[in-house]
Amino acid sequence: MEFAKKIVETTEEIFSTMIFMDISAAKPLEQSKHNIGGHITAMIGLTGSFAAMLNIHCPEEVGLAIAGAMLGMEFETIDADVKDTLGEIANMVAGGLKERFAKEDLMLQLAIPTAVTGKSYTIAPPKTNNRVIIPFQVESGQFFIEIKYNLN
Amino acid sequence: MGKTVLIVDDSNTMRKIVARSLRQAGIDFDSILEAADGQEALDVLHANQVDVVLSDINMPNMTGLEFLKAKSEDDAIKDIPVIMISTETGADIIDEAKSYGAKGAIKKPFTPDLINETLGPLL
Repeated sequence: MEFAKKIVETTEEIFSTMIFMDISAAKPLEQSKHNIGGHITAMIGLTGSFAAMLNIHCPEEVGLAIAGAMLGMEFETIDADVKDTLGEIANMVAGGLKERFAKEDLMLQLAIPTAVTGKSYTIAPPKTNNRVIIPFQVESGQFFIEIKYNLN
Repeated sequence: MGKTVLIVDDSNTMRKIVARSLRQAGIDFDSILEAADGQEALDVLHANQVDVVLSDINMPNMTGLEFLKAKSEDDAIKDIPVIMISTETGADIIDEAKSYGAKGAIKKPFTPDLINETLGPLL
């Protein structure tokens, strides 16, 4: 189903079109754990030909930098606007996946995105084959896009 | 009299980005109004003279398609042009939007140029 390829393509399109940050994708996470500490996670559900949850996990400083670049302003703390911005990016990534899977006759509907924050978060590599995590590098650090899916 | 645009999106930041993109596209509105869902948009249209609406589709309370349907059945506001601006731009959804009177669609992510191309002919 090429989740990783589709996630990388749509994320690169979003960052080049609306965020204007250089971004590079690494290979899907396979081994090492990443403790990202204080973080913001944006999430959105997808249903239809399969069910999935897409998450964007950002360390605080990366989330602030991405939201600042997208809105053209500086953020010093994670506030409602930062969470809203990351949620909207999750929405666009999910929309890009929906569009790409539709070309393979896999139809999806999107839920409403949301975002949460926390003080300690560790990304661990997937133990099952229905979970993909892609690390992305930007100037301020690394963030991760994760999709967990169940085929109907 | 200057022109007024209504931006409908449940994301506060996306409303700001759409407004900024209008300015970057060189489209000069005298007034930019905002609504966070379809019901708010209907209320704004009844209370203000609006020239064009840019509306998201995937919103809580009242979606963009529900907003379009309600608007198309309301003689007082049915002729105000609407452009959909959404991640949801599949052919089936756009066909349904057009059946309720939408004049076009802009896919997120978008550029100011794309907004200009789509919105320009309506102004």
